[in-house]
Amino acid sequence: MPSVSLHGLRVLLANILAIYRRELQSYFSAPFYYVIAGVFWLLSGLFFLVVMTTIINQVAQQDLLQQQFGAPSQAIDVPKLILESFLGLLGSISQVILPMLSMGLYTEERKRGTLELLATSPITNWCVATGKLLAVLTFYTTLLLPVTVYQFVALQQSTPPLSPWLILAGNGGLILLAAAILSLGMFLSSLTDSTILAAILGFAVLLILWVLDVLAKNTGGNLSDILTYLSPLEHFTNLTRGIFRSSSLVVFSSYIFLGIFLTAQSIDAFRYQRN
Amino acid sequence: MIQVEHLTKVYGTTVALRDVSFSAASGEILGLLGPNGAGKTTTMRILAGYLPATSGTAAIAGYEVHTDPMAVRQRIGYLPENPPLYTEMTVAGYLHFVARIKGVSAGDRSQRVEYALKSCGLWDRQQTIIRKLSKGYRQRVGIAQAIVHDPPAIILDEPTVGLDPRQIIEVRNLIKNLAGQHTVILSTHILAEVSMTCDRAVIINKGEVAGIGQLDELLQRLSSSYTYDLELVGDRPHLESLLQQLPALQQITWGNSTPQGRQQLQVSSPSEIGADLASLLVQNGVQLFEMRRSRANLEEVFLKLTTDEATAEPSDTTEEAHA
Repeated sequence: MPSVSLHGLRVLLANILAIYRRELQSYFSAPFYYVIAGVFWLLSGLFFLVVMTTIINQVAQQDLLQQQFGAPSQAIDVPKLILESFLGLLGSISQVILPMLSMGLYTEERKRGTLELLATSPITNWCVATGKLLAVLTFYTTLLLPVTVYQFVALQQSTPPLSPWLILAGNGGLILLAAAILSLGMFLSSLTDSTILAAILGFAVLLILWVLDVLAKNTGGNLSDILTYLSPLEHFTNLTRGIFRSSSLVVFSSYIFLGIFLTAQSIDAFRYQRN
Repeated sequence: MIQVEHLTKVYGTTVALRDVSFSAASGEILGLLGPNGAGKTTTMRILAGYLPATSGTAAIAGYEVHTDPMAVRQRIGYLPENPPLYTEMTVAGYLHFVARIKGVSAGDRSQRVEYALKSCGLWDRQQTIIRKLSKGYRQRVGIAQAIVHDPPAIILDEPTVGLDPRQIIEVRNLIKNLAGQHTVILSTHILAEVSMTCDRAVIINKGEVAGIGQLDELLQRLSSSYTYDLELVGDRPHLESLLQQLPALQQITWGNSTPQGRQQLQVSSPSEIGADLASLLVQNGVQLFEMRRSRANLEEVFLKLTTDEATAEPSDTTEEAHA
């Protein structure tokens, strides 16, 4: 990454901001993103309702059994359980949506020929990639924001109220997970000019992450430790449980950085090969 | 201002450019002329820093494109074959964006965008979404983005392709107005375009430079023959024997007879025989109705020079000649 001087840094930031603003602008004018937002909000609202009623019903039933038959009582933190299950589901919805958000990041530039404009402007690949990632992440965060608000509204109603930190940690985890997945997805979209192929590759990477997670849970010994450490899904699950480790930040940052790095490299490499 | 030396580009096993060298002085308009697939786009992409050359150097304002890419990028405006447009943006919004990434300072930006809009005839369309613009207007937006940051060197890849005759004239005038303050390199496969807009031309064919210089002079030199179209009255054997008295005469092509019974023919020679030919005919009592040094022949030479098969668009060339 080019470094030094305050002026250089300002130019760098200005360039990232220019890309960021243009990207965001294009989301607002594309019906596709409204559809994505609609689907996300519909599904998440629906799941929130289902999760909440299911868990409350279960607990009520257990309570009833306990009263009738004097079964041993079990302490259940209902709001926390709801939050955990809901965030898990949100994670799953996101994993379907994220590759669709990242698939067009570079394929569209290639198709429209605007990559040639970016590549011949005094702006580095790093800036372009960073600006793009920040923009798409902002879009995802915007999707998440109302959902976070109703988590607060609902889960603060319990007595005692759920710690707001738990909600923040869980949703923060979602954003970190999204950033990692989007960053890798951005790299994949920089490899091809087919949007569909970029999406398929994105899902393939998610599948690999998912297998990684399953292996981490089902193997023993050192391998399991390593896989657990590397699996972003594992770190995400921890965060939804309110378990915060600095290693999680390191792992997510590494994935994000890796995605940006590979994107910047591939843009050059592919340019050099293309006819 | 622009210095290209021994540029070679190989794609896999295909040689796209072979030892291409030329230069353009400050304020000059240089035409890169050749048929489709000759290597014009590759040359321009290398100049713009979009593609690296396999070997050789290309420098703009003293900065080499491979070793100083950022310095070069700051000093060029580049219009690729397809204008690189974000079609969902407005014209002004797009130009502001380009000005930003080209490093135009915030204070100068509005003024530069205004200049680009006005000089490309886009002032009335600045709030139009690019998607809704016609091809001609999109091409103008493409040129506007190449000049918005006031670069010393402007590279235009086929700037008039796909435009209608009126738009072509407008774009050519626009390009001519850029000369002086900017060095312009433009590529085209249209001969007339070069003679109308460019100071000098580089003829490029199958990746090699076939000639550099002023176009007419260049083609004349390359054609190495002078051709005359004649229309006269006389019977063929008599004319033949007459013409044989000119030793420099190389070739006689007999044309049709006109409705008035005049004979059309074309003669060519490696040297300038116009005066001799005219006096020979007149002194021998031949009624000469027309004698013209052939301009059309230049295009034939160009086609011969730059094409193997007759796949180039000859109709295109003649249409353009009248435009």
